Amino acid sequence: MARRRSSVRRAGAGRRAPAAVLLAVVLAVGAIALLILRAGGSSSVMQTGDDGAAAAGRVATGPVRAGESFLERLGAMWTASARIDELERENQDLQTWRELAERLAERNRRYEELLRMPADSFGEGADVERAIAAQLVLDSGGPFTRTLVANAGADHGVRVGYIVVNANGLIGRVVTVGRRSSRVLMLDDYTSRIPVMGEASRVRAVMAGQATRPPELVLYPYQVQSPRLDFIVGAQNLREGERVITSGDGGIFPRGIPVGVAHREGDGSWRVAPAAAQRPIDYVRIIPFVGVETPEETSVADEGPPLNAVSSVAVIGREVTPPPPTVPSAQAPTPRPARPAAQQNPPPSAEPAPEPTQPAPETPPAANGPTE
Amino acid sequence: MLSPRAWGFVLALASVVLPALPFGPLFAQPPMPLAVLWAAYGWAAEREGGPLGEHWLQMLAALRAPIALTALGLLHDQLAGGPYGLFVLLYLSAHLMGRIVSVNMSAPNLISLWGGFVVTAAATVAIAALVARFLAPIAVTPYAEAALITSLFFPIVRPLYMSATVTPRAKVGGRR
Repeated sequence: MARRRSSVRRAGAGRRAPAAVLLAVVLAVGAIALLILRAGGSSSVMQTGDDGAAAAGRVATGPVRAGESFLERLGAMWTASARIDELERENQDLQTWRELAERLAERNRRYEELLRMPADSFGEGADVERAIAAQLVLDSGGPFTRTLVANAGADHGVRVGYIVVNANGLIGRVVTVGRRSSRVLMLDDYTSRIPVMGEASRVRAVMAGQATRPPELVLYPYQVQSPRLDFIVGAQNLREGERVITSGDGGIFPRGIPVGVAHREGDGSWRVAPAAAQRPIDYVRIIPFVGVETPEETSVADEGPPLNAVSSVAVIGREVTPPPPTVPSAQAPTPRPARPAAQQNPPPSAEPAPEPTQPAPETPPAANGPTE
Repeated sequence: MLSPRAWGFVLALASVVLPALPFGPLFAQPPMPLAVLWAAYGWAAEREGGPLGEHWLQMLAALRAPIALTALGLLHDQLAGGPYGLFVLLYLSAHLMGRIVSVNMSAPNLISLWGGFVVTAAATVAIAALVARFLAPIAVTPYAEAALITSLFFPIVRPLYMSATVTPRAKVGGRR
């Protein structure tokens, strides 16, 4: 009887805090300190841990994957003949599509030449040729964050900021890199914000991750910070079932990567069914992509266009957003005789601009902002 | 053959490791419960560990509950992608809450133990909300869902973490 009483009921007998409680309090305080110190940035300890966890994950999931593959092959043997016929039909269809795609690619190239647009205008800044194939070996699956660990790291050429896609579309972005592994922030993570647009309607939005729920489309992302854009139009043009792609705004993601399909909730909010949501996400491609640098980061000794000049890009974007306040064309009517040199630039005599009328490809004039 | 307590620890470890493996949404959290919360609460209510001894091994045994919870929390933080300290804080908070609840529990039976666990789980959700507000950008709603699921399953797994003699103990532990 004494033993039974000693379990739960006896817990209230003592008044002096036992050592286990004191240790728990000390460790809890240490945990809070860890959380506070985390504000300093990514930790190399986490990256090293990811490397170890990725290796363990490969070992742990290996037998399961091998078993799945064996059973699939065994099942496929029964329908091999029918599948061969089906594949031959698909192959013929694909040949037709390939020819069509080649014709369209050629036509697209000529159109781009006609428009004199830089080569990376539509997301070609992502170096697809140097894409790194990787396998996802760990899935955070936790309640707080939505991250994945891929088994390719710095040794394989992966860098922070690279884009992660699979056959269906965008998965996320590399946020930390270890030697042989990298952690990918998924597009539905709570902290994920991706500029997107409707493929047909061209309606701009920011896709905000919601962790367990499908990501939400914020249709007026710039309203709070830029009240001047109150007149933004087109939000009502978004269609149910419309494909959502990355818009390239902000220069973090290349433009045109499939993200998912838009659908409207009962409360009127728009959400995206991610294209890459088919689980489990297995093999991925990590695409090198260097975001667009701001003009201040790559300033050149250039006096810029004349006061009254209006670039073609600004004309295209006028219906969506006004030019930034630093654009000198806003002061065109002032009778000043000459435009002063930009304050951040060196004196004009430092280096002449090679072609003042044509923007350099490395510094597109705010074309990746919310102007298109 | 493993004892029920050992199975409880294995279950807690599995709830940390399995969501990290790419086995699909069934193994994500939620819907998988946070079994370490059961362990933290159960070990607290049972005063797992006992008094400190003279030898360092005895001390380690006496302190095994907070040490194990810290280790599981750090492992969970690592596998989930951080931030470090988040799950450690939640699990140790549940442990301390379990201590407080057990001290104030006058007649422990299944209902009161369950109620105590629900209060403990709710307290950890509140702590997660505070962390999200002041320390780190994290999503609290999925954690709250996981904590709710964990609370619902508590009566089923309670024997793995606490004494199985609830009813007699409830009679013995009446108000006095």
